[in-house]
Amino acid sequence: MTINTLSQDGVQRQQMPCLTKMERMIISMQDPDMGIKLRNQRLLITVIPHAMTGIDIVEWLIKKFSISDEEALHIGQLFVKYGYIYPLKEPRNLILKADDSPYRFQTPYYWMSTRWPASELDYAIYLAKKNIRKQGELIEYEKECYNALHKRINHTWDFVVMQAREQLRASKQRRKADRIVLECQEQAYWLVTRPPPGTLDNIDYGPERRTMNTRVQLNAEFYKKEIEHNRISLARNRVKSSICLESYVKYCEQYQPHDPIMQGCLPSNPWITDDIMFWNMNSEVVAVPTKLRVECWSFSFMELLNDPMGRKEFLTYLEKEFSAENLCFWQACEDVRHGETSKIPEKVDEVYKQFLSPGASRWVNIDSKTMEKTLEGLKHPHRFVLDDAQMHIYFLMKKDSYPRYLKSELYKNLLARAIVPQETKKSVFPFMRRQRHSSPSPALATQTGEDDGKAKNSNSVKSNSGTASRL
Amino acid sequence: MGKDECKTMLDALNKVTACYRHLVIALGSTSDSQNLREELKKTRKKAQELAVANRTKLTTLLKDKSISKDDRAEYERLWVLFTSSMELLEVDMKRSLEIGQDFPLKVPTRHLIQTGMTGSTTTVAARAMSVQNMKYEADASIDTVDLKELETEIAQVDQMMEEMEMKVQVAPWAVEAKQEAGAELKSTVSVGNSSVGVISICEEEPKETVEGETGLMKVFAGIIFTAVLLIAGILGYLVINL
Repeated sequence: MTINTLSQDGVQRQQMPCLTKMERMIISMQDPDMGIKLRNQRLLITVIPHAMTGIDIVEWLIKKFSISDEEALHIGQLFVKYGYIYPLKEPRNLILKADDSPYRFQTPYYWMSTRWPASELDYAIYLAKKNIRKQGELIEYEKECYNALHKRINHTWDFVVMQAREQLRASKQRRKADRIVLECQEQAYWLVTRPPPGTLDNIDYGPERRTMNTRVQLNAEFYKKEIEHNRISLARNRVKSSICLESYVKYCEQYQPHDPIMQGCLPSNPWITDDIMFWNMNSEVVAVPTKLRVECWSFSFMELLNDPMGRKEFLTYLEKEFSAENLCFWQACEDVRHGETSKIPEKVDEVYKQFLSPGASRWVNIDSKTMEKTLEGLKHPHRFVLDDAQMHIYFLMKKDSYPRYLKSELYKNLLARAIVPQETKKSVFPFMRRQRHSSPSPALATQTGEDDGKAKNSNSVKSNSGTASRL
Repeated sequence: MGKDECKTMLDALNKVTACYRHLVIALGSTSDSQNLREELKKTRKKAQELAVANRTKLTTLLKDKSISKDDRAEYERLWVLFTSSMELLEVDMKRSLEIGQDFPLKVPTRHLIQTGMTGSTTTVAARAMSVQNMKYEADASIDTVDLKELETEIAQVDQMMEEMEMKVQVAPWAVEAKQEAGAELKSTVSVGNSSVGVISICEEEPKETVEGETGLMKVFAGIIFTAVLLIAGILGYLVINL
């Protein structure tokens, strides 16, 4: 038995959604009234129906979907690229020309499908058939493929030969016009699925999964789970795109002044001017913060908490209000969540002793239901056991303390004190090149001194591209 | 002898597989019709009968421990042929189920793909069934009724192939094919010649891109044409003079 490319497990490959959409469009093209106008193709003596010109296809697409010329041409190209329509004049050139070059539809068996990838056996049979028909005159790359396949699936080669002969005999039973169509179809299919070297491969099947162990039993249990899963997905909370787009626009507007790429950063972008003042001024512990940074804290509570300086300021404020234990509790919970697994039990214990137990020194105010749940969970501590309590305290701070902080004297004073850094003056002479140094890479630092000197020289020439690449 | 019987049965299965594939290719296109669905059904049933017969024969032969090494190698080769045939058949059956479901026949707005094939597939089916003429006796709802049967048959084939894998211990990669590369070019008298004339029409288009070949063909054709003309002229002259 050859290695089967079909996934015979319960896990069936799905057809790619774009292909399903294309199939639907192709079927709608077949409509006798609203579909594409078809003509006959004349080949010396035989007449084959159902040919259409490229311009017909483009015009139909424009009319049906009310789209522009370019878009229709692009969609038409996709059809040809994926093999749903094949050209009759130049079969190897899989593009759509918006003139009177003829095209024809591909039969459903040969449609591009991720569910049924073409197997080597099929390709071998096709090449053998072509070999017979052309009396050995295959194209270069086909000859190579043929020889490669002969080596690879040598054990079924007899079958390949037998089947090729039989398929040719079967097709001889049809009349001439049909035979021509059959050959053109098959050739088009293989041009798409096994493109000649140098052309793009149109489809990516994704990795093959041959896990025979995950054979799914299609019994009642399985279907019950599926139903449950689908029911939950249906009940999922959805936001209308009009609403979330509005908030997205608002977010962008609010943060635009803070974006160093959109607004430029003061004093100067360190990546460009090699001047690290910007980072120094925005480092974690600084005597005087920048105005932008302090403004950012007013955008959302999370911004305030994420900035270490903001957190410290907030803590000072809370101490004045005698509710500092909330923030400490929140921080301790974060530590549990993001810390080492082995230390979790002791950390949780600490938290309990300090914040949650009835006579604790820094007792936090949590409602009874959450407290019960947390105390239950504490018996088997894990990383997320304090999540509910943490969330409760977080919202408490957010709704209560945070707005008051923003209105407080502390914050306003800080905002007044915050500085707006001066933009560094550009050099007076516009053509003077600034000295640029790149920092020595860590790899070089471990080498001997002589190498250092050489490397620095070569690096300074490439410093511009080097720093850009480190961006 | 066992081997010859096997070979003839395998040939028959091979023939039916090829015809079945040919019929499935026509599904969903303008050659599709109720007759085609019936042909598919009949061919499929025949294929299954042959498959079962082949399988029983081959399994008995392979289980026999007292055969010589050459014989065993030969049977293993036949076994590989059989399994490859079954693979193709299985894929085609699954695909025919899929396409059959997508293109039902008895709907008010039938949208079969207009592929340019308009002839009937009767002769192919007749070849598969080894009869002179096909008789059509199915009723109008064959396309939906048949699909259910098809599903059960696919399940059967799946099961059969699993059993085969389990029961018969044949290593396919150890089998060596008798035919070498290009073997199909020999003894192609009946197949090659008659199709060459037809194919050249279809291939004229791709040959445009292959330079030099068309030139040669044209020169060759020109030479033959002039030679024929000359001979005709000479004969005519002789006839007139004699």
